[in-house]
Amino acid sequence: MQVKEEVVKVPLSVDERWDLIEKISKQTVEFGARKHTLKDAIAELTVKPLTGIPVAIAVIYGFWAFFCEFAGTLFTDGFMVRLFDEHWLPWLQSVFPGKETWLYFIFVGDPAADNCFEAFGMLTSGLFVIFGVVLWAVLAFYLIFAILEDVGYLPRLAVLVDTVLHKIGLHGYAIVPTFLSLGCNVPGVTATRPLETRKQRFMMMTLLAIFVPCGAQIGIMQDLVPEMMGWIFLTLAIGYLGFGFVLNKIVPGKSPEIIMDVPPYQMPTLKNIMSKLWIRTSGFLLVAVPFVLLGCLIVGLMYLTGAMDWLAAVFGPLLTVWFGVPSETVAPLIAGFLRKDLAVGMLGGLMEQGIMTTFQVFTSVILLCIYFPCLATFALMIKEENWKEILGSLASLVAMVFVYGGLIHLVGIMLGVA
Amino acid sequence: MKILLMGHPNVGKSVFFNRLTGAKVMESNYPGTTVDFTKGWMRLEGEDVELIDVPGAFSLEPKDRAEEVAVKMLEENRDSVVVCVLDASKVERGLYLALEIIERGYPVVVALNMWDVAEDKNIKIEVEKLERILGVPVVPTTAISGEGFKELVSKIKEAAPVKIEKIIESASGVRVATSAGEGGGGESAAVSG
Amino acid sequence: MNETEENFGSIYFAVLGAVALAFGVAELIATVPGEASWGIMEMSGIFLPWRAIILLSVGFFYLSSVKNFAEVHQLAKAVMASIMIWIVAGIAIWARIAGSIPGEETWFNSLEGFLASYAPPYCPEMFLLPFSLVIVYYVLKEKEEK
Repeated sequence: MQVKEEVVKVPLSVDERWDLIEKISKQTVEFGARKHTLKDAIAELTVKPLTGIPVAIAVIYGFWAFFCEFAGTLFTDGFMVRLFDEHWLPWLQSVFPGKETWLYFIFVGDPAADNCFEAFGMLTSGLFVIFGVVLWAVLAFYLIFAILEDVGYLPRLAVLVDTVLHKIGLHGYAIVPTFLSLGCNVPGVTATRPLETRKQRFMMMTLLAIFVPCGAQIGIMQDLVPEMMGWIFLTLAIGYLGFGFVLNKIVPGKSPEIIMDVPPYQMPTLKNIMSKLWIRTSGFLLVAVPFVLLGCLIVGLMYLTGAMDWLAAVFGPLLTVWFGVPSETVAPLIAGFLRKDLAVGMLGGLMEQGIMTTFQVFTSVILLCIYFPCLATFALMIKEENWKEILGSLASLVAMVFVYGGLIHLVGIMLGVA
Repeated sequence: MKILLMGHPNVGKSVFFNRLTGAKVMESNYPGTTVDFTKGWMRLEGEDVELIDVPGAFSLEPKDRAEEVAVKMLEENRDSVVVCVLDASKVERGLYLALEIIERGYPVVVALNMWDVAEDKNIKIEVEKLERILGVPVVPTTAISGEGFKELVSKIKEAAPVKIEKIIESASGVRVATSAGEGGGGESAAVSG
Repeated sequence: MNETEENFGSIYFAVLGAVALAFGVAELIATVPGEASWGIMEMSGIFLPWRAIILLSVGFFYLSSVKNFAEVHQLAKAVMASIMIWIVAGIAIWARIAGSIPGEETWFNSLEGFLASYAPPYCPEMFLLPFSLVIVYYVLKEKEEK
């Protein structure tokens, strides 16, 4: 050992630390000749646009088709609709006392209803929305999420869409919160934390809250208007990109490059998939059950007290003239403050009554997506950001709902369908 | 005593946490799965010890919300042992964070995780030598399959604070003196903020 | 893999690629009327255009992999093509399973109804599925050599 003394100031500077690391690694780490493995080659294929885009199409197709068959064909249409419409609803209607009382109205709803969408009661529509439709959709979503997450495909998708998202001031990483939001907006909003600047977080949260429908909502939309899903997603995607572009121009601040590690592909383990499925699904039920029931209760009470009619009268002109939807949509819009899935379910009830044209259904579904984040998401946004940003988010939201909703109406008028 | 699990995003901290506590936090194969901390309990030589899964951080100069949480956790738990989880295939990057934590005077155990990935990439690490230079326990692990965990747990008690000067000495073979004012391996730096 | 295996792989996946490409073109054409059938093969469904794109890509992936087949980057293309077939065919099989369990009037399907759900016609991807499995042999071979 040399006798020379060196003076070191603690803590080290960044350069000194890197110097030290270099010295250490020189003595301990040896990089052998690196040959590409099959895994590396496959990883490369999935991020290069020419090969990556077809792969992405296959993955997304698989995701969506599995979802439709699992939730729609097998559970909802296969068993749940029968269970709720043919057994649960008639039984409840026959045993629940006092058809004319307000209790009956709150719990069972319309005594003449022959399906659970129309009934509007807590125990009919409420339970049907959760256990008849949404639970299975959410389960299917989370199953595929878990697999895609654990395999390590998500970061690759992020690299693939990086170029597109750059145009709206976001980065490939935005795909992670967006994708998670498709399950539930709450974890989506939490996943904005690794974004570095306020601007990025603000933009991401606003876009998520407005344009990304959650799994529960998607599930019930797929059940009600399966033939419209393509158009709905297209409209939302255009809004997401277009509005992102505008926000990027008007929101002050920077959006620096995000360096994201692309992890190696891995074989998912059944244990981890199952545990994630359990955590997320039980989390969903814990939030959804009370909120959906509460939503049914509030809407029921508003009908009983006449508040709903009053609101319909006040907001009716706005809804019919500007957005081109009937004033009855006030009820779903109220429910949408609590739960979007319940709101779309109520829209289903209105559809069954035959008071809406196809285009009006389409417009109302889009409006329900974009007009306000659900309560759980909103509460989290308040926690994550300060009031100024929340107000900014709300202001842009209101502006956006009017612009975009009006635009959809306008397109409908021009196409002659509205 | 508490144990903090720290490291870069997506090095497998959550897998460590689940393995060590038997609890269930989300594990996913992309960076930024854990954005908030999670607490759990593990058995260490017959005692229940609190284990905290800290969000991934590249350094202790926070750049985003998740890193802010990480630094806060570290500062709030002065009495803890830090298990610093490194990606064995990217040792240098991980060492940066490890050194920062060591400088702040925490006892550290280094886990060289994703050992299998490093082997795939034909990267060889001399664990004993690294251990000698750093003066802290270094354990190769593969969290997904659970290799190296027993050794890791047994080394937690051996962890003790190391002076950064010692590390520089053993890395460069030069005797080092500390400049005045900042004794105690950066204690003062650790409590700021 | 040895030379015979490599040559066999080249020829085999060239043929499979050509067939996949042909099926892909057929699906693309079938999107115009919306559905088409040929013997026990049927092309239909709302995702037909997307499946056509996937199948065409599968064909191109296979065909571009045949030259110098043993090289990992080339092999990877064939692996990816096979995985894409597995996704689409897997979904087709899954759709049948999902549709076969609940009955028309009863809770569960009758045995005849259950079995009838699995009768032909099948989609093109299901015909390609068994032939695409050959890639597993090559993947295992590659692993072994490492």
